[in-house]
Amino acid sequence: MNALRTKLTNTESVSGWTFMAPALAGLLVFTLAPILMALWVSFRDWNGLVPPGQSSFIGFDNYRALLFEPGVNRTDFAISLRNNAYYVLGVVPLQTAIAFALAVIVNQRFLRGKSFFRTAYYFPSITSSIAVSLIFLFLFQRNGAVNAFLGAFLPLDNINWLENANGVIHNVLAGVGVERPAVLADNSIMGLSLWQWISGPSVTLLAIMLLATWTTTGTLMLIFLAGLQNIPVEVEEASRVDGASPLQHFFRVTLPMMKPTLFFVLTIGIIGTWQVFDQIFAISAGGPQKTTLTPAYLVYREGFRNFGMGRAAAVSFILFVIIVVFTLVQRRIVSPDEQ
Amino acid sequence: MDTRPRMLALAAPLTALALLVAACGGSGFQEADGGEEAAEDGATDVAEGDGADAGVDLQLMGFSSSPAEDEQLSAIIETYNEQSSNTATFNPVPEYDTTLQAALAGGEPPDVFYVDSNRLPDLVEAGTLMPAEGQLDDETDFYPSLVEAFTYDDQFWCPPKDFSTLALQYNVPLLEEAGISPPTDWDELAVAAEALTTDDRAGLVLGTEYPRWGAFMFQNGGAVTDEGFTEMTASSEPNTAAFAYLEDLYANGYAATAADLDAGWPGEAFGQEKAAMTIEGNWMVGAMRNDFPDLDWATAELPVGPEGPATFAFTVCYAVPSNAANPEASWDLVNYLVSPEQQLEYTKNFPVMPSRESIADDWLEANPDLEPYLNGATYARPFQFGPGFQAALDVLNDGIQGIAAGNREVDEVLEDTDEAGQPILGG
Repeated sequence: MNALRTKLTNTESVSGWTFMAPALAGLLVFTLAPILMALWVSFRDWNGLVPPGQSSFIGFDNYRALLFEPGVNRTDFAISLRNNAYYVLGVVPLQTAIAFALAVIVNQRFLRGKSFFRTAYYFPSITSSIAVSLIFLFLFQRNGAVNAFLGAFLPLDNINWLENANGVIHNVLAGVGVERPAVLADNSIMGLSLWQWISGPSVTLLAIMLLATWTTTGTLMLIFLAGLQNIPVEVEEASRVDGASPLQHFFRVTLPMMKPTLFFVLTIGIIGTWQVFDQIFAISAGGPQKTTLTPAYLVYREGFRNFGMGRAAAVSFILFVIIVVFTLVQRRIVSPDEQ
Repeated sequence: MDTRPRMLALAAPLTALALLVAACGGSGFQEADGGEEAAEDGATDVAEGDGADAGVDLQLMGFSSSPAEDEQLSAIIETYNEQSSNTATFNPVPEYDTTLQAALAGGEPPDVFYVDSNRLPDLVEAGTLMPAEGQLDDETDFYPSLVEAFTYDDQFWCPPKDFSTLALQYNVPLLEEAGISPPTDWDELAVAAEALTTDDRAGLVLGTEYPRWGAFMFQNGGAVTDEGFTEMTASSEPNTAAFAYLEDLYANGYAATAADLDAGWPGEAFGQEKAAMTIEGNWMVGAMRNDFPDLDWATAELPVGPEGPATFAFTVCYAVPSNAANPEASWDLVNYLVSPEQQLEYTKNFPVMPSRESIADDWLEANPDLEPYLNGATYARPFQFGPGFQAALDVLNDGIQGIAAGNREVDEVLEDTDEAGQPILGG
């Protein structure tokens, strides 16, 4: 009996692996091998102009240049981390909140034109990000629609959105009379003064953040919508029978039941925002004054423009670590497994 | 429970497979050695076949600035194919730099490709190019400033394909209205920029990048590094004064960036008459002809600075890779492309200028309006640094943006540039 079972599982696993082989081979060749190769490259001084085998092994020098050695490389990397951190802190909460709100709205059973709204909200997500970026370029021009809209409500001069390196927090501080306190200007981390660290996103980066929020919200709404529709009607009825008000129902029933979905949305949000590239490539190319430089764009710039493919690979692995850490911390906070 | 150990047992061969795949990838990368052998073989083949008689396929990889340019180049290549036993094809690619880099890293680059003077040092340093020494007909005919742009490590690497220089473009009616003639020196430029500035127009629209502002450094006797590329000289007096001059223009609103004027690039702002003057290169001709055909504009040489005239020359060369499969055939094609007849044929209908001095007059006859650009050739400097200098250049460019926006100090920017550049020069 036991022998038969062993035999059966054996044949089962053989056929199982056979069926998986094509997908597995693709995964190995197109995913795992490039990752391992990139890891290997990150320990070499490869300039990307000769076959990588001709480069030499330099140990942790690429990582050292990015993290510890004073110089342009470390400063640029620090700037890219700062920019992207503000980007993540701004975009992830905003897009999650808006997407959730939209999902709750289009999930109403008695909403008219439900499918119209669902399509309309989802539309930006299926449009090419480059095309969307180009349209935003027009919207955010000095005489563009955004300024026209803001000008109608606020007494503002036309804002220069697309080439404005001033940090938002710096602007606010300047508004209340704080200008470069010496404590912040004289102390620095990774070659960047504390004053520069707290600059906030530049106005241009802020425009890109709005764009990113607008494009991704639709996808996230769809995921939330699927989560909401997975909540059994019985639960809703039960809470209503128990006399829960709509607000109580939302916070005590809907929200807890959406925890796994929320976790998923936050996770892909964090991963996506730490990898922002195409909007920056199309709109600002890292400028003005490096305020839209992000690690992902730095990878491209170092690898293909500054001939530092090894350093570019090192940036991408540090970025990988950052994303893992952020996801773990976020998991701690949301804890999707507990109900 | 039962399947656990089995999964582990399977994990081992899988890991091995992964390593194998990785190793294969690695060895695939290292094929360059084989490629070089092939190159030698190829060379002997050609020799045995008595030069061009053997007939090989040649790939010319480049980028294209307009469909008309593609057509013209393809036509010339067709004539080459008719008179040679080799068969050449022109392959214009988008995202050129990236594509070229991938081709070089793959170990089998195209037989001939474009190299920008700005990227030459890095490519030479990486050992990817074959020197042009002794491969070219009439080497002395090329403009010395262009030969200099493709000379690195005391070697001449590749012949210039054509070139452009910076000049001053101005809006004819606007200048007439204001009653001023095209400025010829810095003082006149400042006066003209002020006189031409109105509430909805800037006198001068000027790009905020080194290949524009650097011309003012040169005109004032400055430069970012010394001649031998051993010492940073960004924060020297001539540069500070040149940047301060430009800073004033922006601070007073007489000069503006393209973004200030809601344009994608200075030429667009100039075409929309949001600015009366700009400083751009030969490409303005094509751009204005296409986008703003009704604009009445003209070109003058760049205003002369306190230390004399200076401008930038932007140029691209035809390079042959160091591991070319058929070096003789490659150089044969290059020689044909840069021969006086073909170059004239190619540049005559375009705003770009031929790189050979001997055909300058013929070209000028076909393009009399473009004389200011051609005159620049005698005092032009190449846009070029050394390997790895791009990082320092980024610092400078950011600083220039900051100076124009009014949020950075000239001294600080130039000092930062020196600080960023010195380690790259090895000091």
